[in-house]
Amino acid sequence: MEKNMKKWVEEQIACKTKKAVPVLSFPAITLMGITVKELITDSGKQAEAMRLVAQKVDTGAAVSLMDLSVEAEAFGSKIRVSDDEVPTVIGSVISTLEEAEALPIPKVGAGRTGLYIDAIKKATQSITDRPVFAGCIGPFSLSGRLMDVSEIMVNCYMEPEMVRVTLEKATRFIIDYIKGYKEAGANGIIMAEPLAGLLSPDLIEEFSSNYVRKISDAVKDDNFLFVYHNCGNNVIALLDSIKEIGADIYHFGNAVDMEKALKELPNEVLVMGNVDPAGCLKNGTVESIKQTTLALMDQCCRYDNFIISSGCDIPPMTSWENIEAFFEAVETYYLNTDS
Amino acid sequence: MTEIVHEISELLQQGKVPKVKELVQKALDEGVAPQDILNNGLLGGLDIIGGKFKRNEVFVPQVLIAARAMNAGVEILKPYMMAEGFEEKGTVILGTVKGDLHDIGKNIVKTMFEGKGLKVIDLGVDVSADRFFEAAEENQAKIVACSALLTTTMAELKTVVETFAGKGARDKYKIMIGGAPVNQDFCDLIGADCYTPDATTAAEAAVKFCL
Repeated sequence: MEKNMKKWVEEQIACKTKKAVPVLSFPAITLMGITVKELITDSGKQAEAMRLVAQKVDTGAAVSLMDLSVEAEAFGSKIRVSDDEVPTVIGSVISTLEEAEALPIPKVGAGRTGLYIDAIKKATQSITDRPVFAGCIGPFSLSGRLMDVSEIMVNCYMEPEMVRVTLEKATRFIIDYIKGYKEAGANGIIMAEPLAGLLSPDLIEEFSSNYVRKISDAVKDDNFLFVYHNCGNNVIALLDSIKEIGADIYHFGNAVDMEKALKELPNEVLVMGNVDPAGCLKNGTVESIKQTTLALMDQCCRYDNFIISSGCDIPPMTSWENIEAFFEAVETYYLNTDS
Repeated sequence: MTEIVHEISELLQQGKVPKVKELVQKALDEGVAPQDILNNGLLGGLDIIGGKFKRNEVFVPQVLIAARAMNAGVEILKPYMMAEGFEEKGTVILGTVKGDLHDIGKNIVKTMFEGKGLKVIDLGVDVSADRFFEAAEENQAKIVACSALLTTTMAELKTVVETFAGKGARDKYKIMIGGAPVNQDFCDLIGADCYTPDATTAAEAAVKFCL
């Protein structure tokens, strides 16, 4: 459903009580009694998963699956799928400059990309009370999956031209893919670029941010937000570059000091994060989740542009008791601050 | 430290593979002791990178290219080291556990271990508990270091500990664990010997186990 999303951002910043926006979709499998494999191969099930999550918990936005194997698979990568874990890319499809140059850019719709767009189309028809954000991978993270994540790190120095050729192709595909989501009715895109969070400040500018900026410029408008997600370790050291990519929303992982990020980023962009999805939400207890969530909110909610979220996607087998503890903590925080 | 050994260390830190190879050979030809080249040039350079990495002064790509430069230098040194009967501080069996294909963290750990003079047998990714055990026995290792990045595969770390215990070899090896979802509580829960939050701390802990 078309919605003025720039205005939505302004409303969120102005609103004292902000609904949480965790990256929450895979745990729907336990509500539906299905496997991850079934979820990632069926657009109807994905849309239903998003609808069930929206029905069960009071989020500020519905988010699709953070499945960072989809785009690489469209480029020809092999993936490993399991019943209870997010898919993983296996091996690499390019190892030389010549192979990078010969790599065809897939059409949108290749592999499961068409299925994921179709899921968003269906989700936007059933979820009308909040924005719906689609998801995709970032250009450096996709290129890393195509040439192996360790290899791309080394190649930034040893074979920079090979990295650039791959990045250009990844960028062109990602722009078209996001436009597909936009046509399907998404209100924004959450682009995950975690691998760039391991780079140095110089390298992230050259090999990630330059390309992310191109993507952001090509897709965002008043009705479509660009959300940048990075859960790498070095985000704070990289903020000078990251803040120039022009995202409407920045979403950071649990390795990031959120308060430092909030101090660095402009007040008019939303900043979301960063309760540890694995160590806390999946493996923690109800009490530890409440404590961690409240502590983060105590620290960061004095910044009007902060919205509480998970640091990354919440693992599929996370219990709903734990997820509900997170939402209870958010409710408790605002109840206490209102009184 | 001689000037050429210092230069090897500097070039290694910059990841200059061909230059490191060239200078290692030149140093050998000039009669510099292989042990000096290894300890002060190659390992010394990598250890400096490890310290900088811990202080966020260098980043993953710099660590990985330095590691490649070291490996290139070590390849040239190997025949000389073998002739001198060189012994490493200890052997570590390293791998990502069964079901898990993530390896960048493991690769950084490998680099840091090698920088401390440990011999690393890298079993790669998707390594079964039995394979960890076989490799530890075959290589007379002191340490078994296992990584898991997923919440579903971290349970495999427990399987590794149980496998070693089941074979009556639990006290023979130190089992170290790491990875994004792992923490000290989990280490205590499964009865592993050591959890460290980062690669450089892991290397420091591993060296202590080998003393």
